[in-house]
Amino acid sequence: MRKLIGKSMAIGAIAALALTATACGSGRDGDTGGAKGDTKGFAADSLIGVALPSKTSENWVLAGDLFTNGLKEAGFKSDVQYAGASTTVADQQAQITAMVTKGAKVIVIGATDAAQLSTQVAAAHAAGAKVIAYDRLITNTPDLDYYVAFDNFKVGQLQGQALLDGMKAKKPNGPYNIELFSGSPDDNNAGVFFNGAMSVLKPEIDKGNVVVASKQTDVKQTAIQGWKAEGAQARMDQLLTSTYGNKELDGVLSPNDTLARAIITSIKGAGKQIPVVTGQDSEVESVKSIMAGEQYMTINKDTRNLVKQTIAMVKSLQAGNNPEVNDTKSYNNGVKVVDTYLLPPVAVTKANAAEAYANDPKLSPLTK
Amino acid sequence: MSRIKDLQKNLFGGTTSNARQFGMIFTLVAIVVLFQILTDGLTLRSDNLIALFNQNSYILILAIGMLMVIVAGHIDLSVGSIAAFTGILVAKSMAEWSLPWPVAILFGLVIGAIIGAWQGFWVAYVGVPAFIVTLAGMLLFRGGNQFIGNANTISVPEGFRVIGSGFLPEVGPNTGYNNLTLLLGLAACVAVVWREFQARKTRREMDAEPAPMWISVLRMAVMVGVIVFASLRFASGRVGTSFPVSGIILVALVLAYSFYTRNTAGGRHIYAVGGNSRAAELSGVKLKRVNFFVMMNMAVLASLAGMIFVARSAASGPQDGNGWELDAIAAVFIGGAAVAGGIGTISGSIVGGLVMAVLNNGLQLLGVGTDRVQIIKGLVLLLAVALDVYNKKQGRFSVIGSLTRSFRRDTPAPPTAPPDADRETARTAVPS
Amino acid sequence: MSDLPVLLEMRSITKQFPGVKALADVNLVVRAGEIHAIVGENGAGKSTLMKVLSGVYPYGSYDGQIIYQGAETRFSDIRASENAGIVIIHQELALIPDMSITENIFLGNEPRKRGAIDWKAANRMALDLMARVGLREDPDTLIKDIGVGKQQLVEIAKAFAKDVKLLILDEPTAALNEADSQHLLDLLRGFRSRGITSIMISHKLNEIEAIADQITILRDGRTVETLDVKADGVDEDRIVRGMVGRELSSRFPDHTPKIGEVFFEVRNWNVRHPISAERQVCKNESFTVRRGEIVGFAGLMGAGRTELAMSVFGRSYGVYESGTIIKDGKEIVLKTVADAIAHGLAYVSEDRKALGLNLLDDIKTSTVAAKLSKISRHGVLDEVAEYQAAESYRRDLRTKAPTVDEGVSKLSGGNQQKVVLAKWMFTDPDLLILDEPTRGIDVGAKYEIYGIIQRLADQGKGVVVISSELPELIGLCDRIYTVFEGAITGEIARQDADPETLMKQMTSTKKMQTR
Repeated sequence: MRKLIGKSMAIGAIAALALTATACGSGRDGDTGGAKGDTKGFAADSLIGVALPSKTSENWVLAGDLFTNGLKEAGFKSDVQYAGASTTVADQQAQITAMVTKGAKVIVIGATDAAQLSTQVAAAHAAGAKVIAYDRLITNTPDLDYYVAFDNFKVGQLQGQALLDGMKAKKPNGPYNIELFSGSPDDNNAGVFFNGAMSVLKPEIDKGNVVVASKQTDVKQTAIQGWKAEGAQARMDQLLTSTYGNKELDGVLSPNDTLARAIITSIKGAGKQIPVVTGQDSEVESVKSIMAGEQYMTINKDTRNLVKQTIAMVKSLQAGNNPEVNDTKSYNNGVKVVDTYLLPPVAVTKANAAEAYANDPKLSPLTK
Repeated sequence: MSRIKDLQKNLFGGTTSNARQFGMIFTLVAIVVLFQILTDGLTLRSDNLIALFNQNSYILILAIGMLMVIVAGHIDLSVGSIAAFTGILVAKSMAEWSLPWPVAILFGLVIGAIIGAWQGFWVAYVGVPAFIVTLAGMLLFRGGNQFIGNANTISVPEGFRVIGSGFLPEVGPNTGYNNLTLLLGLAACVAVVWREFQARKTRREMDAEPAPMWISVLRMAVMVGVIVFASLRFASGRVGTSFPVSGIILVALVLAYSFYTRNTAGGRHIYAVGGNSRAAELSGVKLKRVNFFVMMNMAVLASLAGMIFVARSAASGPQDGNGWELDAIAAVFIGGAAVAGGIGTISGSIVGGLVMAVLNNGLQLLGVGTDRVQIIKGLVLLLAVALDVYNKKQGRFSVIGSLTRSFRRDTPAPPTAPPDADRETARTAVPS
Repeated sequence: MSDLPVLLEMRSITKQFPGVKALADVNLVVRAGEIHAIVGENGAGKSTLMKVLSGVYPYGSYDGQIIYQGAETRFSDIRASENAGIVIIHQELALIPDMSITENIFLGNEPRKRGAIDWKAANRMALDLMARVGLREDPDTLIKDIGVGKQQLVEIAKAFAKDVKLLILDEPTAALNEADSQHLLDLLRGFRSRGITSIMISHKLNEIEAIADQITILRDGRTVETLDVKADGVDEDRIVRGMVGRELSSRFPDHTPKIGEVFFEVRNWNVRHPISAERQVCKNESFTVRRGEIVGFAGLMGAGRTELAMSVFGRSYGVYESGTIIKDGKEIVLKTVADAIAHGLAYVSEDRKALGLNLLDDIKTSTVAAKLSKISRHGVLDEVAEYQAAESYRRDLRTKAPTVDEGVSKLSGGNQQKVVLAKWMFTDPDLLILDEPTRGIDVGAKYEIYGIIQRLADQGKGVVVISSELPELIGLCDRIYTVFEGAITGEIARQDADPETLMKQMTSTKKMQTR
């Protein structure tokens, strides 16, 4: 045993020295520092990195699978990574750096914390890789190249409008009692959804047609840290006890499906009539819930389309072209306005579900 | 038989407790070589080495403090929360009170000292076990982070970012390398050679024969070789990158704390308290003061680590510090520290931390997902410590053995082997 | 008396530990319904014999036969012996402080009804058992809320719950005050009248004389004799003679003391137990030490010698109540161990491994551990100075180790003790307190340690030696104090010291002075 250690140690030392020798040969990788724009495309079998948040939502898992398959079909090598469950930010930082090291030509990032990646994005940019922010806009960096997402302000607007329509359908005349929920404060999109919805709801609230009975209308009060279902459920429980002892709740603005279901669970637990609850993401359980007449609506942001669009952008970058964008004004990340491609979201209720999910192999059977 | 053993001892200047550390250095080299092959040379490429240091310096800084806490027989679960708490306060101090960034760093260290004094008070003077105090601290300061930050992400100014993502600047003539990094490497080489001769002189003063000259030369050659290799690699990174500032902070701390733990009375006391607190107390060691110091020191280092991470991330966020305590603790134990306290070295912990870091990095380069990376890291931790326990069962020095020994105090002392007998047999004759 | 039937006979029991023969050919005959006392010096083999009897050392780990109730028994563990009705009550009570009296009595022996513990029945039975041992308490009282005397009674009640036939008590009154001891002895008499047999191990010879029917004396792992108290007209002196009956050989280096003036004095020292404050562990103790003098402290285990020494050494034991320390004519206050060391005191603990050494250290670090300031400048250690100091002590004391880099855990007991001595000599003390300095050390090493102690005294230091071995005290010390139950009961000059006198002083409260 001891002999073995000794021998292997000697080998280790020799190996280290040998590596030293080879290292001395390598010079500095030139002065290609800011290799921006002058690249006319890259090899068709290049590596494309995709860094996604932790596997907490089925949407991210689906996106990961779609990227892996889609990039492979397009002839690229892909490296799709999820952040770990607890050390999310640090993991993602390390993963992006590793992708840069491996020479990825394009890095697609679905950020865990959109404000804590600027150093890595800068490094990627400096190494000549293009960076596409997927779904979440990376802030405070001049080095982000493109942003691709669904039109999130529109999502909010659709949610707000559906909430009003749904309540009207149940009870022709107001005033309606509603409660507001918003997403995780560290997710850039959460505020956008909320503002979109409020752009529709605010006039009605001002008119007195719609009443937020708990008076909790500030985004700090409505936010659910980490998009956690238990957080939404706990907040709803408290609202029901504090405000709806003898009042009817007509509607709840929920930013996504996970929270919507948690909110419905809370309301059912309190033995109340289920109000009009909005949602987003078209998660399987929520589609079932809509068909069962519990959740009122969701938003269909077909991940397939978003991934398809992203891969299309990667392809045009590969060919040396500028990818198609449709918004060059709205998305300022704090340093610059990022070229953006926005996909339109679709509001889905029980009425149009069959039509909306016709092409979705997983969801369309549920609507029959 | 003992030739290899002597070589090992001479090369690494070790007693038996260093055997574990030697094993870990070997493991580290093996892992590096393995990934170097598996990743087609990516592992040791300059940009990856730079990234490796950048990504792990804050964990390694935590490991320094954690080593001292664990050697003293405690544990600290609150480091991640303290880092996050300090991070948000420092970010806010710059964003809202427009504190200049150097002042903000001082402010952060002061916060760490205050938190450390708080935890040290409970551990040392009230006598609440550190596990409980820091579990409470973990909740307390995580909550504090969210309370102050409203779970928002607050970005920090450019100047501050230097400590987390800055590099040695480019100065002097264009040599194709980063000149300062080369100078640093040169200084390190000189220091290694100087230390070797100093050590030989010390050995002579101790009336002991210094190791044969060829051993010294070999040892210096290996060290210098590694340093030359590393500095060339770091110096040849993309223009604008070189040896990271956070790495310099780390190296400075490692040197300072290694000196403190090995060569000062204060450091000796930490080991004495962890090895046998009652005996230390009866030798005049001020138990409470030592316990207070290690807890406070840990909090200050945690604050520093938190600030480096914030600087690297360019912003302080609500997820900062999640799970760091476990990384730091794992590094310390892989690096050969004993769960019961009294054993462990700074350099061992750094090596332990590097083993984890290289593993993490290499697996990421190979495109292995975090789920599997975590599984592998868990197994490595378990195996490293299990190997240690196994070795001790074989009759070598044992922590577990020294723990259970107190229950068998009445059994008569085993007969000593004659002094001139073979040392190996003497060792195995002693029950573990 | 001796016409009673024999309940237990242990025939030529021999028990070997690695390197030590703890019991050699021991015989013991206990008759039904008697109280049988076993006496002997510390280390004579009493506890080992009881552990053999109760199955702690199972059949096969010893040689010899145990015949119990007329048949040979081979106990495999404690449970087996308890099932046979042999219950041992250890000096350290095996009670759980945070459980009630009932819970403790039935621990591991809970009355069950349909699988669940039947607490109603348990409480009823507990009350019954408590009545039998004369304990009046609510059975729901927690053990920690009752005194040691009552705890002892709970232990006995617990034994009754197991249907005891032979009750073994190891130092049952060691921790009890006068009244509680008396109650316990009365209880044992009551058991005897009800036909229950007891074996009692005790150092308190007056109690044994008062209660025992038969006394078996052990010495150095052998049976010396069995005395019938009434028939043989046994008294304390007779027992002591049996216990010590060996001649003092020249196991000590020749030494002519050079005794100077009194330089260290402790006056009216009172200290309370650290946890149970009603117990006073040092009762108004006073003593003096002269320069160049070796002062002995004799006393049985638990007499309070270590407590006295440690409380003087920077209040490292117990709660200080009152008393003064005078050194070189000036009163000094030693609140911490660091103070004590700074004032030139050194205390070498009786428990080397738990209190004296960090077993993770090597010889070098251990040697300098108590006075790092001596080898450091501005807190930075000088490795060379450390090495040289350790090396010179290693040579001086002839510590058997290849180098001072050797780990102390690898040394033999004698060499470990030399390292501890070196550690305290390194602090340049004026007064060394050595607590059981030769415990667990073989004869050769003892001789060397004695030599070191004498050399220290010749350097003009005062040396206090605490020991349970009377021959050692008599051979080594210039003056001996005896301690009994936390009080100094005598002061005997070397020329007047003999084992019988000392043993008498160590086992009674009557104060006597020979000078």
